[in-house]
Amino acid sequence: MSRPLRFALAQGALLKDSLAALGAIGHDVSGITADDRRLVVRSGDIEFVRARPSDIATYVERGAADMGIVGKDVLMESAARVLELVDLKFGACRFVVAAPRQMVARSLDEYRHLGSLEVATKYPRVAEQHFRRRGIAVEIVRVAGSVEVAPQVGLADWIVDLVATGATLRANDLAVVEEIAPSTARLIANTAAYHVRRREIAPLVEKLSAWAASR
Amino acid sequence: MERRGRDSGLRPAPPRGFRDILPTEARELRAIERALTETFSAYGYMPLEPPMVEHSAGESVLAGDRLIQFLDRDGSLVALRPDITTAIARLVAERYADASGALRLSYFAPVFREEPAMLGAEREFAQAGVELVGPSGVLADAEALALLAESLARAGLAGATIEVGHVGVVRSLFSTLAEDVRDLVLRELRDGDHVGAFRRAREGGMSDPAIAHARSTLAARGRGIEQVAGDGALELREVIHLAREMFKGSDPLWGVPNLSLMPALPYYTGIVFEVVHPDVGFPIAAGGRYDLLLAAFGAPRPAVGFAINVPRLHLALFGSGWRPASDRPIVALAPGDPAVTARLAARLRGAGVAVAIGGVAEPAGQRVVDATVVDETHVALDGKTRSVDELARELA
Repeated sequence: MSRPLRFALAQGALLKDSLAALGAIGHDVSGITADDRRLVVRSGDIEFVRARPSDIATYVERGAADMGIVGKDVLMESAARVLELVDLKFGACRFVVAAPRQMVARSLDEYRHLGSLEVATKYPRVAEQHFRRRGIAVEIVRVAGSVEVAPQVGLADWIVDLVATGATLRANDLAVVEEIAPSTARLIANTAAYHVRRREIAPLVEKLSAWAASR
Repeated sequence: MERRGRDSGLRPAPPRGFRDILPTEARELRAIERALTETFSAYGYMPLEPPMVEHSAGESVLAGDRLIQFLDRDGSLVALRPDITTAIARLVAERYADASGALRLSYFAPVFREEPAMLGAEREFAQAGVELVGPSGVLADAEALALLAESLARAGLAGATIEVGHVGVVRSLFSTLAEDVRDLVLRELRDGDHVGAFRRAREGGMSDPAIAHARSTLAARGRGIEQVAGDGALELREVIHLAREMFKGSDPLWGVPNLSLMPALPYYTGIVFEVVHPDVGFPIAAGGRYDLLLAAFGAPRPAVGFAINVPRLHLALFGSGWRPASDRPIVALAPGDPAVTARLAARLRGAGVAVAIGGVAEPAGQRVVDATVVDETHVALDGKTRSVDELARELA
């Protein structure tokens, strides 16, 4: 094998729990910290790579990394073809459709008259698939951040966003119209690597699976 | 990697995902094509060429958004073919409806698929493959497997394994589930989502021990297959054994049982296989038994086949240092008197020497020998004069 097993870790909210999980199954991850400038860290037989969550799926799909830990939300939005092997159960959040508390009835009335709703989101793919499944005609407005403000400034009627506690929605006077899907962190693998490097990957899958089941 | 083929300013370039294949690469692809098609033909497969464009309304192995489609002048929706297997299924149903016995067909041809922008994906690439239509059973499965292994070996590929699974074995793991639930579970597995598949199975009433059994069976690879009971697992082992009898190869362990293999396409019914290489993040080739596809065209018949993704094979070969066997060198003949030059070039070519009159701006990795005209039957190389026959012998 030409290089060590490469394991991609999502920076940000999932990093602490990911490291805790890997530490719990016996990997020395003390050399990896969120503020370290080194993005590639070798520990034992594994080379860890930190990357933006949305890039993890791309790394693993294309075989630049063999395995990774990333949220189901990222996988849903990217549609990358990777193997989802274990539900690690941390990083729980959910995709929801939300609207201004007072405006739900009015926007449904508008929908009847105008035939289409405007939906602002950072997750156009998830949003589009959801509304297509529900048979609701929408125009997706893609924004890069602070989607909660979109209804207040008249950019969109509704939003599709990822929420953990719902505090941000409440602070912006938004109510959940419906839930789209829950999300937790997943252990993923590149399809070809899962075959070729099974000997290295299988123990990780087994141990992380037992670790997740015991929580 | 920098995107190729994107428009920049006013300079026209091919559309996204399409690109020029220049001579160095084209020569290498020709060498791969030769090795593959010669092996196909050694197993009795006959070449065929379906059209580039098919009706879009019919059966397709890919979802509509993966097709490159357009409206014909008469208003019918047509698509550039996304694969050859579907075209062959249509063609066999139409043109060989009454044929009995074994049809052995092969191809080497470009296919076209819509890809999202900015992922570095090509929308046109060559596929090489075969379809064996008619026979079912282990000998036919083993033939397809052995032919795939031998084709890749003859093309020069080393270090790859062929992972061999069985869709029937995976299906039987979920046989206690209601049919609609089982279909959903299998769809999740085809999408690579084991988490989702087992969640659905649990929601569908599958017991924890049964789920644990399914999980460990799916993880069986290599010798692990010996622990798996049932006819499907036995069949899988026999197919690999027979295939290795047909083609030994330099690595006798080229075929590896692997029950986690679930191709994305839904029409497979039995043995399935994928070629993986440690240096390439995607499978190089894939195939299997698909007894249901021809039925979709109204002519149910068993079939087994495979398709090799030629650019990925090229990538793996190139990465391992492979270069095509060098052809005879080209003699770049600096012209003298036009009539004498023309006659000399004709004589040289008649003796089997490749001659380009004047310079060679694109040697494409081939050796170029500079020569000057002496007279109608002699050239000078490095100041030394040779006759046509002497040069032909020297370069042979």
